[in-house]
Amino acid sequence: MPALRSTRIALLIYGLFVICLLYLPLISVGFASISRARYISFPIRRYSTQWYGEALQSGTVRDLLVTSLSVAVIVTICSVIIAFFGALAFARYEWRYRTVFQKLILLPIFFPQTVLGLALLMWFNALGIIPTWKTAVVAHLVWITPIATLIVAIRAYGFDSALEEAARDLGASTRTILREITLPLLMPGLVTAGLFAFLLSWGNFPLSLFTTGADSTLPEWLYAKMVSGYSPLVPTLGIMSVVASIFLIIISFAVIWLVQKSKALTQV
Amino acid sequence: MQRLNNKLGLFSALPMLSILAIAFFAPLLVVAIFSSMPPKVFTLTHIPDFSAYSVFFQQGFYRSLLWSLGAAFISTVILLVVCWPLAFGMAKIFKSFTLVLTIAVVMSLFVSENIRLFGWVLTLMKGGLIEGHMRAWLGIGFDSPLYGVPVIVFGLVYAYLPFMLFPLAQGIATVPDDARQAAADLGASRWQIFAQIDVPLAAPGIVVGCLLCFVLSAGAVAESKILGGQAIITITDDIETAFTFGQDWPLGSALSVIFIAIVSVFALLAISVVDLDKIMGRKR
Amino acid sequence: MTSEPLLRLQGVMKRYGDFTALHNIDLDIQEGEFFTIVGPSGSGKSTMIRLIVGMDEVTDGSIWLRGKRIDETPANLRPTCMVFQSLALFPHMSVGQNIEFPLKLRKIAHNQRRARALELLELLRLPPNCYAKRISQCSGGEQQRVALARALAFDPEILLFDEPLSSLDYRLRKTLEKELKDLHHRTGKTFVYITHSLEEAMVMSDRIAIMHNGRFEQIAVADEIYSRPVSRFVAEFMGEVNLFDVEYRDSVLTSSDLTIRPNNAAKADPADGKGQLMVRPEDVRFGKDTNDFDYVLFGQLMDEYILGSRIQYEVRTAAGKLVTVEKPREDRTQYEIGSEVILGFKATNTHFIPAD
Repeated sequence: MPALRSTRIALLIYGLFVICLLYLPLISVGFASISRARYISFPIRRYSTQWYGEALQSGTVRDLLVTSLSVAVIVTICSVIIAFFGALAFARYEWRYRTVFQKLILLPIFFPQTVLGLALLMWFNALGIIPTWKTAVVAHLVWITPIATLIVAIRAYGFDSALEEAARDLGASTRTILREITLPLLMPGLVTAGLFAFLLSWGNFPLSLFTTGADSTLPEWLYAKMVSGYSPLVPTLGIMSVVASIFLIIISFAVIWLVQKSKALTQV
Repeated sequence: MQRLNNKLGLFSALPMLSILAIAFFAPLLVVAIFSSMPPKVFTLTHIPDFSAYSVFFQQGFYRSLLWSLGAAFISTVILLVVCWPLAFGMAKIFKSFTLVLTIAVVMSLFVSENIRLFGWVLTLMKGGLIEGHMRAWLGIGFDSPLYGVPVIVFGLVYAYLPFMLFPLAQGIATVPDDARQAAADLGASRWQIFAQIDVPLAAPGIVVGCLLCFVLSAGAVAESKILGGQAIITITDDIETAFTFGQDWPLGSALSVIFIAIVSVFALLAISVVDLDKIMGRKR
Repeated sequence: MTSEPLLRLQGVMKRYGDFTALHNIDLDIQEGEFFTIVGPSGSGKSTMIRLIVGMDEVTDGSIWLRGKRIDETPANLRPTCMVFQSLALFPHMSVGQNIEFPLKLRKIAHNQRRARALELLELLRLPPNCYAKRISQCSGGEQQRVALARALAFDPEILLFDEPLSSLDYRLRKTLEKELKDLHHRTGKTFVYITHSLEEAMVMSDRIAIMHNGRFEQIAVADEIYSRPVSRFVAEFMGEVNLFDVEYRDSVLTSSDLTIRPNNAAKADPADGKGQLMVRPEDVRFGKDTNDFDYVLFGQLMDEYILGSRIQYEVRTAAGKLVTVEKPREDRTQYEIGSEVILGFKATNTHFIPAD
């Protein structure tokens, strides 16, 4: 029962429409970021890049970027390492509590982030820890590591468990198998997971809101300004944050592509 | 082998489990304990009196809870209707466009939710992208749809679309083409195929998508704050206020506990339904 | 075969929860033997080789290799090696790296490894330029050979195969079966092979074991299993067969299915009792006269099937039993379908299977 041509085209148009709607708000933000006026009103009369200049010179913005970047980088590194092992427990090893573990790590993903942030705030307070951007790293990890684990697990599911058995049969120890077989085969999943981890941490505000203490990340600052006390830098920084994400995605794809290409060259 | 597997499994799960223990379950426990404390205390060293729970009913916090759940329910239903055709296309009709759509939707998730919602404010406000241009070019203006209940629901639908789309597409992909073709061959109409074949066989995806969206939008706060101009107060908003301006941690904790209890029912339901091995394509 | 066996299984048992996959298995395999285990899926044959190589642990019993107990030894330290059904070639390594993997683990120098890998490629009739190929660039047949080369590089005492040919098409399978037999001959290694295809087992093996529900039904050379199966399961597993309910009473054979001519009371079988008389379709003949046979059947020709070089007939006997007859194509009969026929066979072509 192949779908009718008209159905196919209608669905295709619908899909394109949804994509447009998804990105429409970003277009508005983009235009707003290059509007000269302090309070935006469309159609934009005068374009200027002055807000970008201001943002780049601002010390506050630099602090925000440094905090966001530090959190995202540490979260990425930690979550990839934890997710590598987590995915093995999730997908590879036939251990007794595997299904329990699988369901357990879904809990934080389902959990409302704002409430989780507040709960962590109280927990840190009870422990006598003063929240800084370092505590935000912990908060991000609770939510991001399970997602990274799921991504690596998809990759782990994709390869035949006989590969590890074969390596063991050929004389490899558990550690050698991890290094020579499992790690290289999971590598694409780990790179994807790292990318997700970075971007999700970079863009997160509900968790940061209550767990950064006196520090502030970029999305957190933007949120504060949106809810109360508008700043003309909001669209500008929003776009800068998006551009940074796109840049990172492009670099990651380029790196993956180059690695694959060089591998192909050395092997043939 | 089983012994070795048990050891390796537990060992590999340990880092993840420790994170969950110290940064998920422990904080929740603290919330639960705090909720039993007398009003406006900041330590756990008082005698529990559970007074915060009575405030929930006295001061009408149940209204914001109902608003949250109601908005979550409506947006889930809308999402189901909106996403079904698209998910169907992704699973059964589109070829390379499925990948394009997947990438486009996933990439949109990487943009901080508040920036995207703020973009909608700029798009929909009076003198925004739409109204501003219409007035300038066509001479017709209209009142901004912002700051009302419908726009909050719209925001929820917009923000959680991926969380409905992907589980649905996954569910529909598991419906065998043979079964649909056989049904058509036996004389089933399109509608009958939908009702008798697609929906029952894609049920796990439908259930997971709906529960995921319901739980996430029930806990949402940014939509009502940024788009809704607080036309309605959500329960998460109340919780936040109790902690921040209200400086009443026990009250905030009690509200959290009530909210978590309700949401957990749905979340646990969703989690118990999913067979992760199957969804994620485990071999053997 | 009096020497100490290379591999000995003693009372090996494997249970998964309530399910017993293997019951009390005893088995001796001699050095240099090509031993094949045949059985339907779920018969326990895969479980058995997984126990031998150490991917699963025995619930009870012991496994001995050259008189040394190995069932407690971890898989990576056992001198056994298995070729997987999926081949389990490492997709991120080249053909050469795959073959050298076990050598690399033993820290053998790079150039020696390479030399050995090239030797093995030659042994398996793969061109040397295969060395740098990626696994995904190899054809199905090449992948089989690479998997074999990798297993041989490990230089195991005993090489096990878990249905490695089952996913290939018929012609390639036939070629590789012969190559495998030839390789066994040239390397002199002990091969233990698992398959569900009897044909495959017959082509290659020295001895065949028939497995059913976690037990060996029969272990013997191919010809004996074919002509003298010990049980109805083996008889039927070995291909098309006609079975008649019979009974020996005071060493006299009686049957309601068959007309038995006097003086031809079959070979003397030792004990009295009920059982089944087996005759292969190719040993059943059409006749004009009941005198032609020791056992006679009367029936109606129901159908004729052309199986390439052979022709198969289906006859319904007076007692209502369907009997299969097979003839070479050139001996095709002139009987019309539906006509009454006389069938029969010689006592020497029958085999008595006592009831369990």
